[in-house]
Amino acid sequence: MQAVETSPTIHRTVVSDRREPAAGISVVGLRAPLLAARTRPGQFVMAVPPGGEQAATALGVYEAEGERVSLMVFAVGTRTRVLADLPIGAELDLLGPLGNGFELDALGDDVALVAGGVGIASLLLPARELVLRGARVDVLYGARTKASLVDEDRFAALGARVVPATDDGSRGHRGFVTDLLRDRDRKFSGIAACGPTPMLRAVASIAAEIGIPAQLSLEEAFACGVGACWGCVVALDRSSRQAPRFPPVGHLPGAPEFVYARICKEGPVFWAHELRW
Amino acid sequence: MREAVVKEAGAPSVAVRLGRLELAFPTLMGSGCYGSGEEYEAVVDLRTLGAVVLKSVTREPRLGNDPPRLISTPSGLLNAIGLQNPGIEAYLAGDVGKFAARPCAVVGSVAGFSVDDYAYVTERLAARDEIDAIELNISCPNVGTEGETFACDPRLAERATRAARAATDKTLIVKLSPNVTSIAEIARVVEAAGADALAVINTVRGMSIDVDRARPRLGNGSGGLSGPAIRPIAVLAVWEVAQAVKIPIVGQGGIETARDALEFILAGASAVSIGTGNFTDPRAPLRVSGGIRTYLAEHGHASLGAIVGTANPGFVAR
Repeated sequence: MQAVETSPTIHRTVVSDRREPAAGISVVGLRAPLLAARTRPGQFVMAVPPGGEQAATALGVYEAEGERVSLMVFAVGTRTRVLADLPIGAELDLLGPLGNGFELDALGDDVALVAGGVGIASLLLPARELVLRGARVDVLYGARTKASLVDEDRFAALGARVVPATDDGSRGHRGFVTDLLRDRDRKFSGIAACGPTPMLRAVASIAAEIGIPAQLSLEEAFACGVGACWGCVVALDRSSRQAPRFPPVGHLPGAPEFVYARICKEGPVFWAHELRW
Repeated sequence: MREAVVKEAGAPSVAVRLGRLELAFPTLMGSGCYGSGEEYEAVVDLRTLGAVVLKSVTREPRLGNDPPRLISTPSGLLNAIGLQNPGIEAYLAGDVGKFAARPCAVVGSVAGFSVDDYAYVTERLAARDEIDAIELNISCPNVGTEGETFACDPRLAERATRAARAATDKTLIVKLSPNVTSIAEIARVVEAAGADALAVINTVRGMSIDVDRARPRLGNGSGGLSGPAIRPIAVLAVWEVAQAVKIPIVGQGGIETARDALEFILAGASAVSIGTGNFTDPRAPLRVSGGIRTYLAEHGHASLGAIVGTANPGFVAR
């Protein structure tokens, strides 16, 4: 992926605005000029917990413009609840920007962005960047129900076309969002995806089947987020440009050699065809 | 700049000495939690740290365990990384060189599967000028039964320590496991075998099971638990070890704040190590050093040494 000179630092940010596009989902706007200027599409931050013995939380950067960044927080546990409920004026320390972003110029000019649930939070910046570059962008967006599909208009306002899918058929295609990759008569030039691992695996196999390059932003709980602990690894083809330096090499019968790469450091975005999962 | 950080006018001293190793601050970054230091370079001023203990290196390359390697548990983190590292040869060729202009002390960590491994890797690593001291990791719980055997069997702990001691004159810190019947007994034999200091404790063995899939969550099955969940276990271990040996102790296990660190120091630790706490907030080590200094000033002590072990009646002054 894009070799990004990150030099992450801790940014003291202040909550400037907050909205709740759906129950349990908050978009928290923060004043963070330096972070906004430095963040590239597909990068993430670690939110330092506002207090108490909790681990930091990894979040994709949703918006970054001017002096403002925003985070889309899905309140699924106590940590994310605290972040989702931060009042305007509250301070929040963010470590970032972290990881390598999407390599958008390698995706061509007719791109499918595939989002599953929380994955939508990492795809607004890529959508904006792709549209700015003149690419045609379809956002294939899957969620459980209509109620948990958020901010479709935000993507549409950029000039992207949103194609929804829901498990229960309450909006758009009924079934997996990845079905939309197959059903189309049009062939995309590239795919960028973010969402739960089963969805990403499906994207990888469909992309291979129909011969489209795909970049996947892997979802994982990080401990350090900066590449120090080697806790968030994924098996990667040894020949990948993203392979870490001096890696111990693994062998699987009948398969190319692989290395364990850190999702937080070498990723979180990887080429689907280079993953050995 | 460093002088300014180290010596504020009239401030109590928090410098510590572990064997020949002199540290400006009593904070070590736990092995495996701080990479090689460069990962945090832009985030934290490394000059404000006592030492970075590097990720353990072994004689041969190790791929590490299958993912998942990390699971969050209540107030804790369960890990089974499996000593992923490139092996000592590639490590010396590639990784060690970047510590030449080190802004804080650098402690190399050695893991092994035989007494000879410990001797060989210690000798190779300690021979490098970039390495200020050696920590002997005889207590990794995540590499099958063999990894922790050395910390759980007094005879093997003694032999590994003796072998490493013979391989270097630099400060030798031996990291002990809490997964034993008597950590004090192990501490005594390791001290007798020539260790300069003891790191107390490594992670506590544990497991988490995914009940929907009906199998352990970690790729390795079991793992090592760290974080605030193990702090009371670690404080007691330091307390017991401090009554058994005279060499300095580096207390560790769930330290996030100065008050956490002070529990260890009052129990008998001369310095502390911060591991998982860096994941919560990379500024934890700065807060710990600063908070200890404030505590010393408020209580009228000129140096950290004055309060080591003062809560522990069985502590043997050193």
